[in-house]
Amino acid sequence: MKGWTIAGLAAFCMIAGGCHSHTKHYSLHGKVMDKDETAGEFTVMHDAIPGFMPAMTMPYKVKDPAAMRDVQPGDMITADLVSTNDAKDYWLQSVRITDRSGRAAAKPAVKHTLEIGEPVPDIPLTNQDGKRIHFSDFKGKSVLITFIYTRCPVPEFCPRLSSQFAKIHEDMAKTSDYNETHLVTISFDPKYDTPPVLRKYGLAYLDNHAEGFAQWDFATAGASDMHKLADAFGLEYYEEDNQITHSMDIVLVSPEGRVARYWATQWTTAELEDALRRQVKSSAPSVRERVPK
Amino acid sequence: MSNSLRNPAIVCCLAMAVSGCGGCNSSQEHGEQLFDLHCADCHETPNPYLKKQPPKLEGLFHRKTLPSGAPATDEQVRKTIIEGLRTMPAFNGRLSESDVHDLISYLHTLK
Repeated sequence: MKGWTIAGLAAFCMIAGGCHSHTKHYSLHGKVMDKDETAGEFTVMHDAIPGFMPAMTMPYKVKDPAAMRDVQPGDMITADLVSTNDAKDYWLQSVRITDRSGRAAAKPAVKHTLEIGEPVPDIPLTNQDGKRIHFSDFKGKSVLITFIYTRCPVPEFCPRLSSQFAKIHEDMAKTSDYNETHLVTISFDPKYDTPPVLRKYGLAYLDNHAEGFAQWDFATAGASDMHKLADAFGLEYYEEDNQITHSMDIVLVSPEGRVARYWATQWTTAELEDALRRQVKSSAPSVRERVPK
Repeated sequence: MSNSLRNPAIVCCLAMAVSGCGGCNSSQEHGEQLFDLHCADCHETPNPYLKKQPPKLEGLFHRKTLPSGAPATDEQVRKTIIEGLRTMPAFNGRLSESDVHDLISYLHTLK
């Protein structure tokens, strides 16, 4: 399980300015979405934790062997959330199951997340122009993919990802590598994020320069294809009350169409841009030459 | 649960900083809570993650036009909240008609 909202936590601590070095205890209430016994973690969709974290879905280390054994995905729990070292270290203890009725409906954890170097499945997407596109269309290019939904209201999540991609697009457009790269922003919310909605959203981040869509697609996948994408890239998302709680993921795909790198915790725009450009530079010329432009 | 819920401590500080909604009626008070929950994080606090900093909303209805240049009317603000505007997300489906009404009532109190 990837630690996918740590960046959100760091940002939150900066905003709150209230993270202290001594040990603090908070009360956590939430639903266990996943259990990773190897990592000793629960992924918990929890209520707001006053003084520590807004409502969120994220992984927590669990220092409670009995809980690690007994708790199952779907269980509602309460726990003592312990935070030390300016909230850099935190874990759950004294975990108590309050409701087991959600176990049956819990999502099975059987999936295969692509390893670095594995080929990306050629899943069909529909872009902002209503045009069917495939990852194979970008063979020969270095591709950065991320996942958002346009109604996402949390500035540290989707607006951050789209703002970073906008900066990367703007910077790449000034380089000779521009045509060797592509950005793909995929929405978790195909019901609301129709092609016209995505086009409007994309134009906002492209400063109304529609020609930018040639190097940056905003797209959705059908429901079953989205599940395949989620499995392939290890995405987590759950819809509730017209809002989607989701992991923050960025995937770099090589010109050969293989997973080159994942980001799920900490990253900067410069780091993403550098990785994208390095991928262009490192690709074998033969690969680029044989793909028609 | 939703990941848009914000920390009450922050909400409290922001509320003290920007509103001073003394004498507000119940609709405006509810609107203030919604503002703190959904709007303040972007409109009141400069956020380094955003491509463009959204405008402050003080005095929104005390000018002829909104920051977008559209007329400063309830209907225009309602449209902006529901449909979003440029990089501002749409709140369609997440705020009820009554919520939007209360939010606009509160925005009228901002000097």
